[in-house]
Amino acid sequence: MSATTHSLPPPGAPLDHFVDDAPFDPYATEPMTKAQERIYLASQLTLMWWKFKRHRLAVVSGLFLAVLYASILISEFLAPYNYTERHTDFIRSPPQAVHLFHDGNFIGPFTYGLTYTLDMEKLRRNYTEDTSRIYPVRFFCRGDSYRFWGLVEGNLHLVCPGEGGTLFVLGTDRLGRDMLSRLIYGARISLTIGLIGISVSFGLGIIIGGLAGYYGGWFDLLTQRAIEVVQSLPHIPLWLALSSVMPPTWSPLLVYFGITIILGLMDWTGLARAVRSKLLSLREDDYVVAAQLMGAKTPRIVFRHLVPGFMSHLIAMATIAIPSMILGETALSFLGLGLRPPITSWGVMLNEAQNINIVVLYPWLILPVVPVIAVILAFNFLGDGLRDAADPYR
Amino acid sequence: MLTRRAFGILSLLLPASGLLRAGRALAEPRDLSLEPPSFVRDIWEGRLPELAQRLPQDPRVIDLPAMGRAPGHYGGTMRMLMGDQRDIRMMTVYSYARLVVFDLKGDIVPDILAKVDIEQGRIFTLHLRKGHRWSDGHPFTSEDFRYWWDDVANNAHLSPDGPPLQLVVKGERPVFEVVDETTVRFMWSTPNPGFLPALAGAQPVLIMLPAHYMKQFHQRYADPVRLGALIRGERVKGWGALHDRMARSYRPENPDLPTLSAWMPTTKPPAEFFVFKRNPYYHRVDEQGRQLPYVDEVTMSIGTSSLIPAKVAAGAADLQARYISFADYTFLKEGEHNGHYHVRLWERGEGAYVTLVPNLNVADPGWRAVLRDVRVRRALSVAINRRDINQVIFFGLGHEGANTVLPGSPLYDSRYDHAWAQYDPALANKLLDEAGLDKRDDDGIRLLPNGRRAEITIETAGDNTEETDILELVGYDWEKIGIKLYARGVQRDLLRRSVIAGNATMAVWPGLDNATAGPNMPPDSLAPTSSMQFQWPLWGQYVDTMGREGEKPDLPAAEKLVDLAKQWRRSVTPEERRQIWEKMLQINADQVFTIGIVNRTSQPVVVNDRLRNVPEVGIYSFEPGAYFGIYLIDTFWFEDGNAALEVKRD
Repeated sequence: MSATTHSLPPPGAPLDHFVDDAPFDPYATEPMTKAQERIYLASQLTLMWWKFKRHRLAVVSGLFLAVLYASILISEFLAPYNYTERHTDFIRSPPQAVHLFHDGNFIGPFTYGLTYTLDMEKLRRNYTEDTSRIYPVRFFCRGDSYRFWGLVEGNLHLVCPGEGGTLFVLGTDRLGRDMLSRLIYGARISLTIGLIGISVSFGLGIIIGGLAGYYGGWFDLLTQRAIEVVQSLPHIPLWLALSSVMPPTWSPLLVYFGITIILGLMDWTGLARAVRSKLLSLREDDYVVAAQLMGAKTPRIVFRHLVPGFMSHLIAMATIAIPSMILGETALSFLGLGLRPPITSWGVMLNEAQNINIVVLYPWLILPVVPVIAVILAFNFLGDGLRDAADPYR
Repeated sequence: MLTRRAFGILSLLLPASGLLRAGRALAEPRDLSLEPPSFVRDIWEGRLPELAQRLPQDPRVIDLPAMGRAPGHYGGTMRMLMGDQRDIRMMTVYSYARLVVFDLKGDIVPDILAKVDIEQGRIFTLHLRKGHRWSDGHPFTSEDFRYWWDDVANNAHLSPDGPPLQLVVKGERPVFEVVDETTVRFMWSTPNPGFLPALAGAQPVLIMLPAHYMKQFHQRYADPVRLGALIRGERVKGWGALHDRMARSYRPENPDLPTLSAWMPTTKPPAEFFVFKRNPYYHRVDEQGRQLPYVDEVTMSIGTSSLIPAKVAAGAADLQARYISFADYTFLKEGEHNGHYHVRLWERGEGAYVTLVPNLNVADPGWRAVLRDVRVRRALSVAINRRDINQVIFFGLGHEGANTVLPGSPLYDSRYDHAWAQYDPALANKLLDEAGLDKRDDDGIRLLPNGRRAEITIETAGDNTEETDILELVGYDWEKIGIKLYARGVQRDLLRRSVIAGNATMAVWPGLDNATAGPNMPPDSLAPTSSMQFQWPLWGQYVDTMGREGEKPDLPAAEKLVDLAKQWRRSVTPEERRQIWEKMLQINADQVFTIGIVNRTSQPVVVNDRLRNVPEVGIYSFEPGAYFGIYLIDTFWFEDGNAALEVKRD
């Protein structure tokens, strides 16, 4: 603009560095309406949100996951029973229906009493509904006691069975424990294992991939080969090896953390690759060169200019990676090498159900499959929506 | 099916061709009505002698009507499912042909032998059956015993440790003597009450080998050039290894090895499908003179053990108890109609279905000291709510009691059964407080005297769900007395190793093998005698190796047990033995060396609808009984024998 007003310095002498004090107004020539401004001046985040909102499935999935994750904060309150409470009189009781009407009269949600008979011929426990006994379901009631978050004693539940009655909405397992309560408690482990695992792999991925991408050279070469080695190892046997290293005396909680770390350690490679390739292309971009020319230091360039450039992309990637963590935990526990009782997770519950007898005689014990599938699908849809949204200009 | 009428037709049609081909004169018509149909052709064509020539002069006659069983028909294939190739040893166990065998009353009776004479409990004269033959038709004589004694048991290369332990009394080997062609004698200077029970074991001590066959692998008899070629052919280190491999009969891996069993192996491992064919020279007949076994063929199909219940329900087995557990009963019962079988419930013969075995030789000094305190073992035992476990897992069909002999044994006493088997958490807490575990941490877990938390890791082979369920229930019970239980599943062989190495604090294992024992059976399982005893592996090893390996027992009760077991070996009268047994049972009950939980549980036995003579109820135990062996599996028969031949493989 103003270059012509200056005469060029003699060859070899440094160029004059000029920065205009006046604020730069790119739209000086074509002023916009308010509506246009709303669109063209929207931040990247706003654009992403708009784009994301149009992906219905992703929004529904997101809401579903939000509800599930909210539930793990208050599992103890939501579950009708304590998950370790055994009901010796109701072993392998099938799911119990919750009724509203009795003899055509509206009573509100209630359950009938269960009559237990033992079929000595087939050695099978049979339960029949006894319609003469009616137990209205109670809400915000006192039931099994628990330690909320392992800290505070409590006994308040959202729903409880009627006084003297039972409420086994999803049936009971082989030791007479309520399946629904176990599912609710199991969600706490199964859902968080994905988050903790992903943060481990996220940290590793960004640091290793970022350094490799930004500096390149021998470090890049080394990490790339390391990543190839890690990726070429078959996952299941490696999990098995690592989880068998964990001492059996560890408390289940420690085992839980050990397993999340194992899952995280196996999963960072893809992320590191993505970070590196993004960085490799971004660091050559004009705005980075501009920042360098303006004398910005490396941390400022990386965190102010580069990271926001691919953060949205990373979040989408992570969302898609969480299901593989959840599946990983489920697989390990299913094989009996992951979490151990008394901790319960969906994988542990499925491990207990891997038996021909259960498939044939007690099919409700396979129910933990349903939340596993639902959560995995939801994460995949959400990730899909986020990935589309991460690139709002396309 | 070939009926008698069919034989009639056969014998009318075949004489002419048989005469021509065999080229021998047949003066009178041959009566083949007693022959198994599958042999008729071979007999006519001269490949097999007639029944009278195949049987010993005095075969063992099994009087089926006297046993309340029906005489049967020949023919058929009995299908079994196994989970491991090594399970072909079950064929040797099930068929249970031994020199002497246990009968259903627990007495030892001759089987392969015609007679045993015992003088002063120390001189054993074994009389063979005259005309008895190996499965290849070669005579079975005293030479087979001599070969084993002179050239195998006392050959420094083949048996560096000398003859089997059961034949050595206080370091003294027997004097062996061949009396005549069919009589041999073993003599000791002191009584050897363990000799005959060892011969009658489900896994027997073998004191004879088919000499005519084995000599080709023995350096003393074989042509060196041929032997060298055989060693190279089998890719073994030397002739000793070759001889060992070829002589292996408990796990019948060598189809060429002649046998005296009811069925002889025809498949050489590795294989997934094993076929056993009837032994034409078998020594047992029914009361009508027909040669046993009735069933022509036994097949064993090897597959994943966890799928066996499903396969059984689909009707893929004719007789199956192995690899199906009580938990499968309901499922199997539902499939009875489609699978054409019935499920029976036999009683299991172990001292306990599941015992918790504290390892008194554990490497961890803190736990070792605690577990050696009898008060701790008693506390752990009375803290278990056995009634609950019985109800939850066995529908109340088991019996809640300690790991000891069962009522079927003449030594049974309810005092052993009830000792420290009651449910009394208050007593458990009191005992633990007295034993120095009186401090607890914030979680309510007791602290060991050395300050560590009382967390026991129990190692389990964990291949059945009942075991893990029981452990979970015990875990709930023990939590109430401040002991934390962690279960850890390991592979069966690794479990053994980790117990012997002292890494495992406690293991889960079945109770006493021989829980229906009489006073004449060795009480070895009650005293440290072998490293396979998980409560004292090192002490057992010490006694077993005569002090060369392991550790000297240093608990007074254990020393006393070792001493009593030695006394039994020197005993002469049954009364003396009975007293020794009672003392040993008393000590075991009082000291709670193993914590039995439930015994007399049920074992489902799946029997094809066409299979006859399988008892409705029985005791399912390895020792004594050899599972089906004591019920004479060779007398089982198919109602429609030959139809089963069509279904050979699923």
